[in-house]
Amino acid sequence: MVVQVCIGSACHLKGSYVVIQKLKSLIEEHNLGDFVELKSSFCLGECANGVSVKIDSQKVKTVLPKDVEKFFETEILGGLER
Amino acid sequence: MKANNYYIDIATHSLNKYKEELCGDKVEIFKTSDRTIIVLADGLGSGIKANILATLTTKIAGTMLKKGESIKETIDTIMKTLPVCKIRKIAYSTFGIIEIDKYNNCTIIEYDNPPIFYIRNGKIINLNKNVVMYDNKKVKFSKTVLLESDALILVSDGVIHAGVGHVLNYGWEWEHVAEYLEKQYVKTAEELNRRLIDTCNTLYEGSPGDDTTSVTIKVRTPEIIEVFTGPPENPKDDEYLVRKLMEGKGKKIVCGGTAAKIVARELDKEVKTSFDYIDLDVPPIATIDGIDLVTEGVLTLKKTIDKLEEYKVYKIKEKEISAKKDGASLLANMFLNECTHVNFLVGKAINPAHQNPDFPIEMSIKLNIVDQLISVLESIGKIVTINYI
Repeated sequence: MVVQVCIGSACHLKGSYVVIQKLKSLIEEHNLGDFVELKSSFCLGECANGVSVKIDSQKVKTVLPKDVEKFFETEILGGLER
Repeated sequence: MKANNYYIDIATHSLNKYKEELCGDKVEIFKTSDRTIIVLADGLGSGIKANILATLTTKIAGTMLKKGESIKETIDTIMKTLPVCKIRKIAYSTFGIIEIDKYNNCTIIEYDNPPIFYIRNGKIINLNKNVVMYDNKKVKFSKTVLLESDALILVSDGVIHAGVGHVLNYGWEWEHVAEYLEKQYVKTAEELNRRLIDTCNTLYEGSPGDDTTSVTIKVRTPEIIEVFTGPPENPKDDEYLVRKLMEGKGKKIVCGGTAAKIVARELDKEVKTSFDYIDLDVPPIATIDGIDLVTEGVLTLKKTIDKLEEYKVYKIKEKEISAKKDGASLLANMFLNECTHVNFLVGKAINPAHQNPDFPIEMSIKLNIVDQLISVLESIGKIVTINYI
């Protein structure tokens, strides 16, 4: 699974740094390093709805710093189980 | 005769006399389409009085010469305008003037200032000087044709007296300054001039006994940087724009996520992004094969402007800038040290996210940022061209 977090201007201002740090530590905590590849990306084309996060080729989702845990559970853990 | 293709790189630094708020030396640089005129004046005394004398001298000399007045008229005007010192009963300021035309013909006019240092291939060159008397005032004229990498250094007497009575009995002295300058192999006027002034400051042990100023002129081969930022208004222009960028002979910079994606797509390359947050205010840089620097857009550009402005005011910060590796520092460093000319390719498309009320106001229009960047680059002597698409 490849997870891309946008680090473009708008997403940066909305907290992509925090989102990345939180995802990094969650992935480590759950020992998912071999299954999930976390990447940064320039503009994902959804600037008005940052922070933009994209899993594989799915639709771009909005993940604000406060929503990271929930996103990790439903989309990343959930996605891996599926 | 062919107009020269060289770039006249000019840098100036001053040290104020210990405990003085104002410098009694003044440098003015006047650039017109066909000439560059540089004036350094050292006003009698120190502090506000000297500062006024020196400022009047540089302004009068520069303005009159620029308008084509003769040197006799100019000197006459200066002497008649300067206020007379109550203590010494004279109106006095030394000055040195350098005039360079577009064919690199250089005229040097000196009045009571330390003789100019003229360096070619690491050796001091002695100029033949014609002495002309104006009302008992000895003015020296010399002429030369500048070649690539020639350097001219004009100083106030604070430089050749550096350290007098403390570290050195007689001060640094002209001959020793000349030897020092011969040994400096540097590319930019800024670096050479700063080394000279830093050394003076060391000799004065940080408390200059006199106002100390130098201005360095270096003849350089132009170095061009191409900067592409912002997607074009019409996506049909993408291909043209990237072609233009790649045709550029110099280094290539891309600022902005969308701009980077356009370049990568047109070149059939990949944008490689990273997580390396060196400065939390500056988004990480990326790489594209064949492009020298790829950064995020508005935030990085704003930070770059701040750094360049800071450099302009506190010149010492330049070393700090070149040591850092975040996008804005890398960009500022390239502008400062790796170019004489900057060509901008600016797309005019509007990013809806930047219209968001949460977005800092000054960033809402990217073109504003580009305008600010251009004006700060011009103020530090870079030659800028802009292409809006």
